Amino acid sequence: MRQELKEYRFDWMLYSCFSSAARLKSGSEKEYRHSMNYIPYFRGTVESVLGAGEPGQKFIELTAKYLDNMINAKERGLKTAVTTFCFSPAIFYAMDIMPICLEVVSVMMTFAYKRGTAEFLDYCNEVGYTETSCSSQRGSIGAYLAGLGADIDMIVTDTPGVCDTNANAFAFAAAYLDKPFFQLDMPPDLTGERSDEYHREDYKALIAFLEEHSGKKLDLERLRANLIELHKQDEIIAEIEELARVVPNPLHVAGNLIVYASRFLFAGMPECTEVLESILRQGKENAAKGVSGLSSGTEKIRAFFCYIDHYVQNLKLWEMLDEHGVGYQGNILSRSWASSAPHVQEYGMQEAAYTLNTADLDGLIDGMAMVNSRMPMIKSIRGPYDAPNMWLQDTLSLAKMYSADCIIYNGTPGCRNTWGMVKLLARDTEKAGFPTFVMNADAFDERVQSWETTRDRFLEFLTVRRLI
Amino acid sequence: MNSAFMKAATSLNNEHVAKWKESGRRVVGYTCSYVPDEIFHAAGILPYRIRGFGAADTTIGDTYFGPFICSLPKCMLQLAGEGKFDFLDGAIITPGCDSMRRLDECWRKAGGDIPGSLPKFFFHFGVPHKYADYTIKWFAEETRRLVDAVEKHFGVKVEDDTLRSSIRVYNKSRKLLDEFDALRTADDPPFTGTEALAVILAGTTMPREEYNGLLEKFIAESKKAKGISGKVRLMLVGSANDDVELVRVMEGSSALVVADNLCFGSRFYTDLVEEEGDPVLNLAKRYLSHNDCPRMYGDYKRRLGILREKVKKAKIDGIVLQNIRFCDLHGSENGLFERDLEKEGIPCMRLEREYGPLVETGRMKMRVDAFIERILQGRREIA
Repeated sequence: MRQELKEYRFDWMLYSCFSSAARLKSGSEKEYRHSMNYIPYFRGTVESVLGAGEPGQKFIELTAKYLDNMINAKERGLKTAVTTFCFSPAIFYAMDIMPICLEVVSVMMTFAYKRGTAEFLDYCNEVGYTETSCSSQRGSIGAYLAGLGADIDMIVTDTPGVCDTNANAFAFAAAYLDKPFFQLDMPPDLTGERSDEYHREDYKALIAFLEEHSGKKLDLERLRANLIELHKQDEIIAEIEELARVVPNPLHVAGNLIVYASRFLFAGMPECTEVLESILRQGKENAAKGVSGLSSGTEKIRAFFCYIDHYVQNLKLWEMLDEHGVGYQGNILSRSWASSAPHVQEYGMQEAAYTLNTADLDGLIDGMAMVNSRMPMIKSIRGPYDAPNMWLQDTLSLAKMYSADCIIYNGTPGCRNTWGMVKLLARDTEKAGFPTFVMNADAFDERVQSWETTRDRFLEFLTVRRLI
Repeated sequence: MNSAFMKAATSLNNEHVAKWKESGRRVVGYTCSYVPDEIFHAAGILPYRIRGFGAADTTIGDTYFGPFICSLPKCMLQLAGEGKFDFLDGAIITPGCDSMRRLDECWRKAGGDIPGSLPKFFFHFGVPHKYADYTIKWFAEETRRLVDAVEKHFGVKVEDDTLRSSIRVYNKSRKLLDEFDALRTADDPPFTGTEALAVILAGTTMPREEYNGLLEKFIAESKKAKGISGKVRLMLVGSANDDVELVRVMEGSSALVVADNLCFGSRFYTDLVEEEGDPVLNLAKRYLSHNDCPRMYGDYKRRLGILREKVKKAKIDGIVLQNIRFCDLHGSENGLFERDLEKEGIPCMRLEREYGPLVETGRMKMRVDAFIERILQGRREIA
């Protein structure tokens, strides 16, 4: 790792970038334009996010606040837990624990820096962590392994039974840094009495772990308040998802990114609600006018991403989609499995959905266990891809519901799980009539396949399949 | 060396399996050491550990799996697609790791494309990733689900008493293998690491009573045999290895693999199953608690302790920490082992390799030889 990267804490530098970006629009337009000259590499990201209008501004403020909380957690008397995107943070906020979500922090770095997370990715390999592991965690965990981030009190994940490389990143970091570790383990079936009981008992063990390592008892009222807020957010997301069905899709092309990133950082907290409300407001306005959320106003085709997006610098994926009139119909990260979600109701998936009961402690724990077990990836990548409630069923039903013209897979080479079954999935989605493209890129590491190559192959697919 | 072990270890449909099938009995394969053999033994079925050994390419495996996947399940699928596992009446897939658990879907889909390649009994056996009261309860239920499925499909009845009796047969094996392990780790072991692996592998492919008999004989003969001395003593740790030739390459002319911590090795037979009480619960406890695999997250320190003990007991000169490419679980844990054991003065070498037809023996031999040279150099410096 270059010496200059070791001079400053990485999270402070990131905070500095995002907090400055959040203030860019507070001056005049001329001042804003002038400021852009000083951030040549971060400029594209800032302009893309702020280009989304009010939701973009609120989102960038949200990220700045999150980073502020992260770097000042200790000074504010909070414990810190390194955790993962598919772990609902509501429980941490209810226990004065600041969740440090590795994957979102990795994306912040790939969006902000020309170098992305390359040197932290490589640092992991230097200290013994495999280069074939998923880059989503590796990008930011490398900084913590190098001692360049805020102090960590505990490490918590919920991907055993779902994703080895994710779970392994947390287990490795815990052993390397000698920190307390907890895993929520997932049985292969999502539903059924055995799975429900397993999820519940495991969640109780999690609470005991968090109480032990935070030194605080779970505050029932705070958890209840967070769950009520979470429920409110789910209702808003249900409306947003319903809007996405409209042709043309009135949501901004980066709307989904903003939805899921906000949930990963602040689910159950008012900060997230505010961003979601803003997206909904903007979507409704566009829908009332009958215009697309794309900047051209014209939607040529609609693409459904069946896994994750590509987080190369400057939001180039969304820029490319926007430029070519490709409506972005979401991915598995933006899905909510609340019982109110449109796809739950449309396809009778109530069994797979979660319901929230805030009446008593048992109800709250059950609710949180259900929410967590239905988080993106946790829900649908655990069992065989063609089993009920799993990847194929979700992909086909969502692609149909959102009138997608094609299905796109993108992940990382570290994703053993999806690469173990994506060829089978693509075969089935093609049979179902959806042209399907498997991207060979790494969502978090452009060195694996350059963005230019990734873009050309994507466009080649659209052309060859006569989609554009 | 008893040639029966080497023969059984180096052919898939070996003479024991063939004889078993000729008598009209069934064989069920499984992919991971978390599956209790005793259930099949009690059902009159031969449990058989599925291997990827002998695959000459991975064209079928690559058709179904993506590119970033461990070559072991690809080789297993290759062999299944080529009809090499046609003798199997059933197969159990476990989530040992992500590559291995996706063998479930890939094999099922290949079975649709290649008639006859999928055994009629095909079962996904869940295994928790941690050991706690509620995970044991879940795993015991899962084990009962497996018992029920075997009973239903094969029209047999697995009585508790029969299961207890099978547990006793397997416990006898485990005790014998402990004796075998004592010989293997002795100052002058009477057999090589290559032979030792053959002995262990043979147990996964032949009827247990027959195996126990051969093992008793082997131990008795070994006790009388002249020991091998003057070799560098290695321990082999990491990803699954069911290929005796890999150990032969590593041992060469100057080393001896006297201990291992592999799932096709000593991890397979340590710890007994309780013989009294509910046999299914006892099996669940033993197979889940016997968690020396890095798939059981958060248990690194215990596994490090196991290695330390083995190093001491077997007077290890150096540890080869190997992993198959894309095996992040072993690959990463090997990184931690290297850091912690080297600090204690135990020479370690990390080695990434491919499984099966892609194994590059020349490169591997060169690296292991260099490691042995490092150990010998260290000895010379001390002297």
